[in-house]
Amino acid sequence: MALLELEEVTKRYGQLLVTDRVSLRVDEGALVGMVGPNGAGKTTLFGIISGDARPEGGRVSFDGVTVNRLDPAARCRMGIGRTYQVPRPFGGMTVFENILMATQQGGRLRGRESRLAAASVLGRTGLEGLANRPAGTLGLLGRKRLEVARALATRPRLLLLDEVAGGLTDPEVAELMDVVRSIRSEGVAIVWIEHVVRALIDTVDRLVCLASGRLVADGAPAVVLSDPSVREVYLGTDVAADPGART
Amino acid sequence: MTTQERAPTPRTAASGTLHVRRAGASGTLVGAAGLVVLVVFAFMPVIVSEADTTLLVNFFVLLTMAVMWNLLAGYAGMVSIGQQAFVGLGGYGVLVLAMNGFDPVAAIPVAAVVAALIAVPVSVLLFRLGGGYFAIATWVVADTAQIVVSSITSLGGGTGHPVPGLSSMSPHTFAETTYWAALAVVSVSLGIAYGLLRSPLGLLMAAVRDDEVSARSAGARVMTTRRIVYVVAALGCGAAGAILAVSQLQVQPSSIFSVQWAAEMIFVSMIGGMGTLEGPILGTVLFFVLQQNLAQDGAWYLIIFGAVAVLVAIWTPRGLWGAIRQRTGIELFPVGYRLHGGARGLVTQAQLLDGGSAAGSNGPGSRAGAVWRRLRS
Ligand SMILES: Nc1ncnc2c1ncn2[C@@H]1O[C@H](COP(=O)(O)OP(=O)(O)OP(=O)(O)O)[C@@H](O)[C@H]1O
Ligand SMILES: [Mg+2]
Repeated sequence: MALLELEEVTKRYGQLLVTDRVSLRVDEGALVGMVGPNGAGKTTLFGIISGDARPEGGRVSFDGVTVNRLDPAARCRMGIGRTYQVPRPFGGMTVFENILMATQQGGRLRGRESRLAAASVLGRTGLEGLANRPAGTLGLLGRKRLEVARALATRPRLLLLDEVAGGLTDPEVAELMDVVRSIRSEGVAIVWIEHVVRALIDTVDRLVCLASGRLVADGAPAVVLSDPSVREVYLGTDVAADPGART
Repeated sequence: MTTQERAPTPRTAASGTLHVRRAGASGTLVGAAGLVVLVVFAFMPVIVSEADTTLLVNFFVLLTMAVMWNLLAGYAGMVSIGQQAFVGLGGYGVLVLAMNGFDPVAAIPVAAVVAALIAVPVSVLLFRLGGGYFAIATWVVADTAQIVVSSITSLGGGTGHPVPGLSSMSPHTFAETTYWAALAVVSVSLGIAYGLLRSPLGLLMAAVRDDEVSARSAGARVMTTRRIVYVVAALGCGAAGAILAVSQLQVQPSSIFSVQWAAEMIFVSMIGGMGTLEGPILGTVLFFVLQQNLAQDGAWYLIIFGAVAVLVAIWTPRGLWGAIRQRTGIELFPVGYRLHGGARGLVTQAQLLDGGSAAGSNGPGSRAGAVWRRLRS
């Protein structure tokens, strides 16, 4: 059974059709990459899955349960963790407190267990040196890491990563890859939006491409990248070869 | 009062330990100091005059309200201008219980709980409204409560009613009893507020205040959080109103449901500093100092106090205590967390927890990962 299942999901902002009858299945433990040009509706699709955005039509189900009517907190507690493309830390709290809050709420841990889990997340996301820093004072890299850390701290079964590698240097991207792989190795399913296509194809086992709200391709990375409709979306650029393939 | 976690001393030489400690000054010290202050205050009626005891009762009442308003607005972002609804309900709770043969002093906690219970359905109505509408609606609720209570003739209607069962006490016993009851209420209120802020709920409130959207997707049940805080604030304001009923020997709708209570709790919280526990204490002290020195000039102290509030809001939006803390780093009530020990410590702790089963894995990351898996199950 699929862990996440979207059926004919549709979402509009006014006249603009942002999500156009998207159907998508993500199996337990899968690592799916998502690409598509700016404004394709990728972030919106994450919002629909996490509960931040309400679709007008279609069904979202997680672990066999229809979650359309559930709020983001309930979905998080079911096991959907997400990051925000533009980081949204709790600026007045320390990095450790940001993570601890997530282990206690989404992660449903209490007391000592919650603190140890938070410390463990801190360690794996490379934030231990920044533990006591107010999150509002972090730079971009720190904020991106904190996004991953906080989502991870909710103990997700499905993790939605929205351009967590954007703006990072190559070594930083490599480090982040290791973190993502280690999360994946624990059986957490991951959907990962990234413009750095090369970063994705090295890691994911499946790639989907979104354009103008529609799912135009879905399959093995090599197959998707050679798909004519995907090439058209990327205006003829050789997406696979160009490491910085941004639209 | 210090929460510290320390791994049992590991056998390996290069041992790091993880300490998760509540931020700021030593918690034990704060606890001891708080106890000393409480004991000193408990003996006050023996030391000071009866007039001063009465003054302190009023101080405790306002401090209780300010602590509660600060929880509501400063922590949970609910700007209420209608907390006098629960002050009034607490006061009338005592009256009704006393009229039915209850001891008025014993009725104080019961009346507070009644006010809190009434807050539950009220919150359902209020939470449908956002921002400014919420604030105005809280005032409407308070006015409605006053109108309803004023229309009950058996409770004296608009002129109010004396609280029976207090005349049997000697003036001295009465002053002492009221004082201790008020001291108990303010101590419990501060204790509850401090406990809440140090609990997961405190972290949750801070997160919701910082970013409601990302708090929700990290699992925060925003409505439940707000409701708990709202009910606790009603409990505290109800207790304050109950004390007022006893200390003033009577309740009168227009004074116990007066919007002046809301104004005062907002003033002192703003001047002292919202979003800290110290702020309302400092603000209330200032309020009473000003009031004592200016009260003979009629209502001037209120005007001056309003001006001070405006100046503080312009000069230091986080209040006087906010400015003090920024400069000195002092925290009398530490609610945050501090991590000591660094990366090495974290990993060591993780290994210990894991019972060594991660021995064969490669690298610290995966060791922490092993703990992670353990915690996930
Ligand atoms: N809250 C909103 N209100 C109105 N329009 C919106 C809103 N959120 C997104 N949009 C619009 O919906 C479209 C899809 O946006 P979305 O952020 O989902 O794209 P994306 O694929 O994530 O793009 P990017 O690669 O730039 O992050 C865009 O045209 C955007 O302007
Ligand atoms: Mg996006």
